[in-house]
Amino acid sequence: MQHEPSLFARLARRISLVLGIGAALLVSAAWYYAETAADKAYDRLLVGAALQMAESLSVENGALSVRLPTSAFELLGLAERDRIFYRVIDTKGKTVTGYDDLQSPEPPDGSRDALDISEGTYKGEAVRIARATRVLADPSVSGRAYVIVAQTNEARSALTRELTLRATILVLIMSLLAFAGAMLAIRYALQPVERLGAAVRRRDPHDLTPVTVDVPRELDPFVSSINHFMGRLDERVDLLQRFIADAAHQIRTPLTALSAQIDLLGHDKLDKAGRQHFERVQQRTGELARLTNQLLSHAMVIHRADSIQLEPISLVDVARRAYRAAIPITVDPDIVISFEAPDDRPFVLGDAVSLREAIVNVIDNALRHGTDQRLEVRVRSDAIDAYVEVEDDGPGIPPEGWEKATQRFATSKSHEGSSGLGFAIAQEVVNAHGGTLGFRARDEKSFTVVLTLPLYKGAVK
Amino acid sequence: MMRVFTTVLAIIVMVFPAFAAEDNRTQFPALQTETGRLTIYSTTDLAAMKPLIDDFQQSAPGITIDYIEYLTNELHALASEACRKNQPLGDLLLSSSVDQLLKLANDGCAASHTSPETARVADWANWRDEVFGFTYEPAVFVYNTRKVPPAEVPRTHVELADLLREKLDYYRGRVGTYDIRLSGIGYLLAFNDARQTNTVFGRLLESMARASAVARCCTGEILEEVASGRLYIGYNMLGSYAYDAARKHPDLRVVVPRDYTLVLSRGALIPESAKRGDLGAQFLDYLLSERGQLVARNNAFYFSETGSLPPDVDGPQNLKESGIAQPIRIGPALLAVQDWAQRQRFIEDWSRSLIELNSPEWTRE
Repeated sequence: MQHEPSLFARLARRISLVLGIGAALLVSAAWYYAETAADKAYDRLLVGAALQMAESLSVENGALSVRLPTSAFELLGLAERDRIFYRVIDTKGKTVTGYDDLQSPEPPDGSRDALDISEGTYKGEAVRIARATRVLADPSVSGRAYVIVAQTNEARSALTRELTLRATILVLIMSLLAFAGAMLAIRYALQPVERLGAAVRRRDPHDLTPVTVDVPRELDPFVSSINHFMGRLDERVDLLQRFIADAAHQIRTPLTALSAQIDLLGHDKLDKAGRQHFERVQQRTGELARLTNQLLSHAMVIHRADSIQLEPISLVDVARRAYRAAIPITVDPDIVISFEAPDDRPFVLGDAVSLREAIVNVIDNALRHGTDQRLEVRVRSDAIDAYVEVEDDGPGIPPEGWEKATQRFATSKSHEGSSGLGFAIAQEVVNAHGGTLGFRARDEKSFTVVLTLPLYKGAVK
Repeated sequence: MMRVFTTVLAIIVMVFPAFAAEDNRTQFPALQTETGRLTIYSTTDLAAMKPLIDDFQQSAPGITIDYIEYLTNELHALASEACRKNQPLGDLLLSSSVDQLLKLANDGCAASHTSPETARVADWANWRDEVFGFTYEPAVFVYNTRKVPPAEVPRTHVELADLLREKLDYYRGRVGTYDIRLSGIGYLLAFNDARQTNTVFGRLLESMARASAVARCCTGEILEEVASGRLYIGYNMLGSYAYDAARKHPDLRVVVPRDYTLVLSRGALIPESAKRGDLGAQFLDYLLSERGQLVARNNAFYFSETGSLPPDVDGPQNLKESGIAQPIRIGPALLAVQDWAQRQRFIEDWSRSLIELNSPEWTRE
């Protein structure tokens, strides 16, 4: 099966993608702004130097004279590593001093006096070029003189790099923080899913009531789907049980008639083989009747567990009644049967009918499969629990079969053909009362089934 | 026969290195088998450089050094030409006219060099890792003790100007300085003097003009004349040369002016087109190294940025601490010094003040 990536991984991937794109955009923007800022800063120096130089132009003795101010160069020297080129052009377009092949960019039309600044190349190096204009109105020298100053870009690039680097570091730190925060938030947000899963996992397999875990709104559809499904399952199970009960009920009547008919068949008239067959039919019919009864009893127990209000009852009463009901009149007189109960009558919170049914089934089971010569039914209690113990001297169930014994229609070698609902019913009832069904084997001749029920501590009416 | 001749020639070359080449070229043969040949174009007197070159060869015995001497302006013209035509000119240029070296570097004629040694160079003496200042040389006054009475010894620029004014007749024609038309270093110092204090410099120039000051091409000439007593006072002499001369002539004394002292750092530059730029860099590293600086201080240039003044020099105890030292920064500002029009105008002004007022006999060499 193709494994779907986890929600966490999906979210992490998408968030990091978004953060990555965002960081890239921010860094690009930072680079752009850094470049603009560096250009602005150093353009000011360049323009300042050009203006200073233009200011130093003067007319002396009818000729243009240049006294290049050292301060202009010192100004440009603030960009420590950059080379400086300059050219002073007089009114006739002749170079007065400087680099006479330094070209000024063509100024746009109509702005001949404007301070002009642009990119360019000089001596194979990228430079920034500024041009300042000086209008001279001396009678002998009149017109426009120009000062062109160019500077290489090392300081600008260095500043741009530095600013960009710093911004990048900030962006990276911010992105990492955002990513870490998002991851924590996702983990936190996904916790209810985990909780819901755990709650559903922890449930008793027979518990088909709606899930009541508190979940965020987003998970409500999921929970209500589960509950809807549970509800339907519950209905189906109810339906099935009712069907089984109905079926068992319907079967019982013809079965009774069938038993009577078989009894009417006198087996004297049969030959030996026929008698054998007859006895088997009689035996199987008995088993069928018993199974039908158990099915009915099971259905009843389940029905009562769902619908009957529990009340304090005397466990001894219930056990005695069950004892009387379970021991048939036709019991083998050689078997020693006893019932022991203390005087203090332990009370439990329960449904007398279901409990009796449970005990009857246990005793019945013991009589049928366990008891050789002895059967004891005991009721006792301690500070916490009340116990109903059914002990016999049969071979019992080996410990490895104990777990299986309480399952419906379990088979084991020592109980061949005996599979039934006895222990299952008893356990279901005891569980519904908050108790447990257990086994105890003391030796070869003693096997005990113990029903443990929590003692009722309240006042008894 | 041929072999004998070669051997003899080799012996001659080894014994008399000075005769091995043209008169401005000196060869220092490798001490061991030659592995490289370094050509240095320099404006520094051979006498000052020789201790350094000898010591360098101790540490690099495989290198033959050709040392070629020029005047500052000649060397600049040569180097600019070579750079323009992209022809090689030596592996290392040494010039006291750092403005000219700076111009060369600005024009893209210099190769950049960084090493642990260059990292030690002060900020003001390093531009773009291309031009390095490797000396610390104050511009000083010199005087002849037999001619200038102790009471009259000038210790500031103003005192010098006043002295010339007061004792005009005595000092007429007896004061010498650089002819800045011929000497790049003279121009550089004069220009910085003018920048430093325009009024004092103007006064000094005027006084010197009245006193018919003598302009000479080179430090050596003036120092010789002051030592011999033909001149009494020399103005703006390079401290290293002046001190060297003072050590040889007991009558010659050096004064470090106390109002301000221009300090020049001799520049070094590796040309972009150098054939053996690596050797140039090696020698430059040596010059900047502690060992080179020590040799320079003891045997070649005598002054240093940190130490005290050499003995017998009239001046403050320690140039740097006294705060009067004004180093000429190796930086773009020198481009303004180097500007063609600027130079022309400044020299014209200077000539008009100093030369034209003088009697013709002092103006011509």
